[in-house]
Amino acid sequence: MKRQLSDPASDGSDVSEDMEDDDEYAHYYYDNTDDLDIDKPKKSDDPEYFEYTILQVEDAERLLNEEIEALCSALKVPPSLAKMLLHIHDWQRELIIEKYQQDAEGLLVESNINSEKKALVNDKDTLTGSNPACPVCADNYPRDKFLGLTCGHSFCPNCWDMHFRVQIQQGVTMGIECMGQKCKVLVPESFLYSVLTDSKLRDKFSKLCFKDLIQGHPKLRFCPGPNCSVIIFAKEPRAKKVECSLCKSTYCFKCGIEYHAPTDCDVIKKWLTKCADDSETANYISAHTKDCPKCHVCIEKNGGCNHMQCSKCKFDFCWMCLGDWKSHGSEYYECSRYKENPNIANESVHVQAREALKKYLFYFERWENHAKSLQLEEQTLQKITSRIQAKVMENEGTWIDWQYLLNAAALLKKCRYTLQYTYPYAYYMDKGGRKQLFEYQQAQLEAEVENLSWKVERAEITDRGDLENQMDIAEKRRQTLLKDFLEV
Amino acid sequence: MAGLPRRIIKETQRLQADPVPGISAVPDESNARHFHVEVAGPVKSPYEGGTFHLELFLPEEYPMSAPKVRFMTRIYHPNIDKLGRICLDILKDKWSPALQIRTVLLSIQALLSAPNPDDPLDTTVAEAWKRDELGAIAQARQFTKEYAMGNKPPQ
Repeated sequence: MKRQLSDPASDGSDVSEDMEDDDEYAHYYYDNTDDLDIDKPKKSDDPEYFEYTILQVEDAERLLNEEIEALCSALKVPPSLAKMLLHIHDWQRELIIEKYQQDAEGLLVESNINSEKKALVNDKDTLTGSNPACPVCADNYPRDKFLGLTCGHSFCPNCWDMHFRVQIQQGVTMGIECMGQKCKVLVPESFLYSVLTDSKLRDKFSKLCFKDLIQGHPKLRFCPGPNCSVIIFAKEPRAKKVECSLCKSTYCFKCGIEYHAPTDCDVIKKWLTKCADDSETANYISAHTKDCPKCHVCIEKNGGCNHMQCSKCKFDFCWMCLGDWKSHGSEYYECSRYKENPNIANESVHVQAREALKKYLFYFERWENHAKSLQLEEQTLQKITSRIQAKVMENEGTWIDWQYLLNAAALLKKCRYTLQYTYPYAYYMDKGGRKQLFEYQQAQLEAEVENLSWKVERAEITDRGDLENQMDIAEKRRQTLLKDFLEV
Repeated sequence: MAGLPRRIIKETQRLQADPVPGISAVPDESNARHFHVEVAGPVKSPYEGGTFHLELFLPEEYPMSAPKVRFMTRIYHPNIDKLGRICLDILKDKWSPALQIRTVLLSIQALLSAPNPDDPLDTTVAEAWKRDELGAIAQARQFTKEYAMGNKPPQ
């Protein structure tokens, strides 16, 4: 199990080294095939390189406490106050210190920790008599029983207790406000703990509070994996890929959904929403079968590769455009490029709408197709594993000899994944030179991915050198595209 | 009224002894947390002349949680939907335990005088309100005549 629990503030420049710790033999196998070492991004000019640490709850707690203590000692304020300041100001300690030193009161008012209305501060005169009625429950209490914050709104302890109870039940923690009408002054944790007696609720509060703090911290994120409790720490938060060592789920650090390079977080969200909205049309186009363009026999796609060969007439064609595969060498590969109607501006609204749908369907079909291919590629991987097993049993080479096939399958998956996520990117791209360049590189990548897929599926009859060469080319294409288009 | 918090008793007494002009709120005979409310349509609003029936319920957590209020009379208003639900900040996130039944009802009365189509609950009404305010006001007046005049309290 790879788990790096050490001080997250430490340099950590050697993460790629540490990440191999779970498999000590990895060095032995991969040493000579450095450029094929696909799952371990290197820092040097890898556009996907991302440094992060997996933390257990206790480690994250310690990290937060360290930050809180650092602010406490810098400003000489109690921890409860430091915690609020950090949470409200996105944990930007330097900025808080600077502002506090310039105008402490101003910062506290701006953060809704102190009240603007100085007149009311510590004023219990709003309550009349020696045994006033609480403005909330209307019960009478001795004057000195009343409690309040810097705003001066005073209420009886029972009402405060009840208020906290209801707020915690609603999941509010760091944002609990004073009970006064239109009063935005926040309740510090220390005040809450001095009033709230129920130990179960105190526990619940502290747990929810921790969750709130993590969610508000720009460098931390809960692993979104099912039932996974770890927390990811990234010194420089980016929209990069994280793989949880515990639950094995992979996702984008910034938005928490599936990793989506080269597309950015906003665009992928827009795309996924669009796809969900247009699912009816999507259903229509996601048919699993097509007819052979030559002999018209019905063909079900049962592998990831888009280079199809009709089992009946042996015609080689492209699953996407149903054209002859011969025209799909890397020089002519155009299947990934959407050809817009050049006259579109002069057409009627109706035609434009149809053109818009056509454009969407074009990209969606390719996006969906690669997603399906990825699933099928998963089956290919299983087939390869069992084939290797059989070969090893028959003394045809050793397990180590056949490792390159597994590497090839893993690399294919990785390349196709990136390819899939180039389609939403291209869909939202503005027309122009940059789009042309992107589509050119996308076409190059697609051609090489299909070549690789073809060779992996026919691994027995493909020469190892040829396959490894193809792996290298595909990965280089992927890297080039990401280097040019992944916004860092 | 055993078990009823003192706050609710006091508020009820005050609502009876010192009622808000144009508003009446009477607790249900069988449930002191359930109020039958009548709000008179404010003068110079398209609701003028109408009597609007509402129900108001004080949940267990009251006053830490907001009362639940609903229009029983149909009304054409961008912040009130067909089911009578009201979009009003103090009934949601802006609720404060220092607010009272009285203040809530006053706010609802004010909402009738000043509809806010920019924060709509019923989007079709709100759109009509923004597109053609005069037409929408006429429609609201028509609804008032149809549903809120000479109407009896429900049940």
